[in-house]
Amino acid sequence: MATTEQAMSARPASDRRPLHLTPGRACSLLTLALVVLGSLALNREGLSLMQGLTALWASPDFSAATSLGQADSALLSAQLVAHVSWWPRLVCALLAGGALGMAGVLMQQVLRNPLAAPTTLGVASGASLAMMLATLFAPALMAGTGLGGDGFQLGREWVALAGGLAAMGLVFALAWARGMSPTVVVLAGLVVNLYIGALGMVLLLFNQEALHGTLVWGAGSLAQNSWDGVITLLTRLLPGMLLALVLMRPLAVLDLDEANARSLGVSLRKLRLMSLGLAVFLSACVVSVLGIIGFIGLAAPACVRLMGARRLGQRLLWAPLFGALLLAVTDQVVASLDGLLPNLIPTGAMTAALGAPLLLWLIPRLKMAQGAGPASHHGMSLTHRHPRPDRLLGWLLAGVCVALMLALLVGNGADGWTLGADMLQQLMAGQISVLDFRLPRVLAAAGAGVLLALAGTLLQRLTSNPMASPEILGISGGTAIALMLTLLLVPSPGQLTLLGAGICGALACLALLVVLNHRSGFIPERVLLCGVAITALYDAVRGIILADGDPRGQQILAWLSGSTYYVGLSAAVGVLALAIIAVLLVRPLARWLDILPLGMASASALGIGVTRARLVLLGAVAVLTALATLIVGPLSFVGLLAPHLARLLGLSRAREHMLGAVLCGALLMVLADWLGRQLLSPYEIPAGLMASLIGGSYFLWSLRRS
Amino acid sequence: MKWLLALISLSLLAVGAASAATTDETMADEAVAGVAAMKQTAMTETAQPPAGFVDRPIVALDWTLAETLTGIGVRAMGVGQVATYASWVDQPALPQGTRDLGLRTQPNLEQLAALAPADILISPMLSSLAPRLSAIAPVTSIAIYTPDADTWQTLVKATRQLGRLTQREPQAEQLIRLSTARLAGYNAALRQQAVRKGQSPLPLLMVQFMDDRHVRIFGDNSLFQAVIERMGIDNAWQGDTNAWGFATVSLEKLVTLKGRMVVVEPLPPGGHQALAHNGLWQAMPGVRENSQASAPLFLPPVWSFGALPSANRFAALLASHLIDDEATLEGETTDGNH
Repeated sequence: MATTEQAMSARPASDRRPLHLTPGRACSLLTLALVVLGSLALNREGLSLMQGLTALWASPDFSAATSLGQADSALLSAQLVAHVSWWPRLVCALLAGGALGMAGVLMQQVLRNPLAAPTTLGVASGASLAMMLATLFAPALMAGTGLGGDGFQLGREWVALAGGLAAMGLVFALAWARGMSPTVVVLAGLVVNLYIGALGMVLLLFNQEALHGTLVWGAGSLAQNSWDGVITLLTRLLPGMLLALVLMRPLAVLDLDEANARSLGVSLRKLRLMSLGLAVFLSACVVSVLGIIGFIGLAAPACVRLMGARRLGQRLLWAPLFGALLLAVTDQVVASLDGLLPNLIPTGAMTAALGAPLLLWLIPRLKMAQGAGPASHHGMSLTHRHPRPDRLLGWLLAGVCVALMLALLVGNGADGWTLGADMLQQLMAGQISVLDFRLPRVLAAAGAGVLLALAGTLLQRLTSNPMASPEILGISGGTAIALMLTLLLVPSPGQLTLLGAGICGALACLALLVVLNHRSGFIPERVLLCGVAITALYDAVRGIILADGDPRGQQILAWLSGSTYYVGLSAAVGVLALAIIAVLLVRPLARWLDILPLGMASASALGIGVTRARLVLLGAVAVLTALATLIVGPLSFVGLLAPHLARLLGLSRAREHMLGAVLCGALLMVLADWLGRQLLSPYEIPAGLMASLIGGSYFLWSLRRS
Repeated sequence: MKWLLALISLSLLAVGAASAATTDETMADEAVAGVAAMKQTAMTETAQPPAGFVDRPIVALDWTLAETLTGIGVRAMGVGQVATYASWVDQPALPQGTRDLGLRTQPNLEQLAALAPADILISPMLSSLAPRLSAIAPVTSIAIYTPDADTWQTLVKATRQLGRLTQREPQAEQLIRLSTARLAGYNAALRQQAVRKGQSPLPLLMVQFMDDRHVRIFGDNSLFQAVIERMGIDNAWQGDTNAWGFATVSLEKLVTLKGRMVVVEPLPPGGHQALAHNGLWQAMPGVRENSQASAPLFLPPVWSFGALPSANRFAALLASHLIDDEATLEGETTDGNH
């Protein structure tokens, strides 16, 4: 039954339900909307259509203004605003939307991946991190504007370009070993986005005041103050776009399969490198001038394709047009909201927030290469199998115990490193001791590690995808959205309120996942893509909240970075107990986990209701993740890392794999928590961030191995 | 494996450096100096407090409270983010020997307990921490920025409360008296000047740049508003503000507003040079008209969520630009910090 469902949805949408909206019609509609919104906006400024149009090229002259009356002066001011701000903003939106649409088409064509885009491939976040680093450590780089008065100056766009290239390189390196399949590329992009996000979060946590400008910029505001931005964009984008048109013919060859293309005498490698480089350049230019504009690069090509632009030439024509108009219209709507609220609403984050539902809508309509069978079986294959798994598990347990003792006893305090020898005496005397502070954190870290590792193991075995992790399912993101909103809307919320809100968020997310995937029988890849969309929404909400510069942002940041700081003893014991109960409860499901990766057909033949099993396991993952997110925040790679480690150590059978992963998870989290508390004492690096830093570094290392 | 270790240590280095990093080199220097000061503190823990200060067994996690304590001559045992305080609050500088307790939102509990303070002062923003902190010492939460309350009265009340807590009532009263008197003095001077010149000072637009396109504009509920209100100057921004008294807006919103710009530094990247290329900035009435009376004012950094000492500083900086008559200023410039 589920197989037929899949076959249905695998067909292009238009075959089933022809869309009457052609790209041309859609663009005309958007143009109409833009003209109406634009003239309304000019009207709001107090200009007639004619006066507004003249402001496009003529800067009003104030030289005679002193002799003018109040009304004339106001008119001149309005014209000036239109000239230096309104028109450049509109032109910038059009240019940026066009460039992003084109970059998206190029990326999607080269990678043959309908979900490739500057944001999904990590280009945008890489560029953003590079610019944050430059702001902090080399402000001179950020002030540069390309060719300056005194010789060549490295400008912002080169910083952004370097960051974007590095991030995309990382994504490719991660996905290479898995054959660059579309889902894997997108998941690798998400992993890289999360890692870069964690690094950025650490920078922000310690430098919130200094980096506030980057926050506004990172959320992608299109506001302009002169024609400089337009000129910068134009001089860089026009050559880029022309080059893309030159590349169009050879690129069309990529529609054929590899062997055919090669037989035509096209150097595929060079072509791919050039087109990707061009796409990254286009998006990096936009990012450096305007900040991160989410989703246009994904949405524009995908939409025109759904509207019937199939050939590359058509897509290269319509996607930039559609992207440009889409961004400009969105920006006009956002700008008209601007006056109604005291908050700053950045357009970039807004398009991302609108784009997330679009992505959710798009996913069922995409052609899925795989879905039923073992997707990337070689990814799950073993390096070796440990001869005596029980002994190995014993060693791991011993390791966890040692880490626990270390974390409880050793600390780097005001007087340097101390061994908590007098702890027992203090305890006996009933005084306050360091144990009171350390015990809850150590227990909570261990508990969260166990929960995440368990969720990760379930998910990786369920999807046969070693890149899957609970963070990627979007449950963490959903929980985080709920918590952020609670922190903002409820005055001084207590711990219980936060807990309740977090659980509600997780449940809402889970419900969304279930509703969206119910009909397709919970195909793991599709579920993961929904997670990508929810995570994108989380990024957008975070961007909007932080860009406003509310001092409570610091508190939200502190929580988002995932610290065990706020956990009390009773909560910590509760978490650990729940974690252990969860392990015991999931153990009987080990048989499912051994069989499900063999593929749908084998699983059904062995008498497993595949859809039911998937639903149960996904539900378990959601609950486990929500609990862990409440403690260590939405960022942490433990759910990804621990199952990996366990498999590397040679634990292959589901039961052993699970136990091994759980112990690795606990070990990792306890160590991350402890290290985070010691390194910069008295400042503390939150455990979640510390774990992501360790986890991300492990990933880079494992790349080098493969 | 070596690789892994190298990568981890690299990431950590980045993080470590980040914690000390601030906007520009001078700030980085300050941060280094701050770290050095911290190290010194550990050695000279029992040292006497600097002249004009007394030691009190309390800690203040919030900068606004720390600033007020410094203003009434109290050296607290510890304050949150001492190094960054130096870059963003600047004056009054915390007395030597104040221990850094880590992030304001996540003070290091172990070190806090080791200090064994008699009282922990927090702002309501940290109220979710109160249960944990109260296991270490009694917690006093002092509200300074609350919506729908007269900011100046709250500041005065908070100063009094802190004076009572630290048995420094005379100093607290003196700080309040001096601040009130100073503002009243400026008010009178400005009024005289207005009569003399036949025109009163323009309303002000008080902003802080976020980047080259966005500013925080301060209005109702802000410290700056409270100060200029007492100096008898109007605020040209009548739009909505949040609970901390500011709104984040793009520059174009300000072009049509009649008023004199007051820019509290830091400037956006590129500084004055970038502003010269900024079309909207150039279109601001004050910049455009190029007249003495409406030219924008640039003030060195003032903690915009500060208390009376910051208010004093802001007022003095503003007055030095707005009041031409040196003689009127003379009597007012005595330092009201102690």
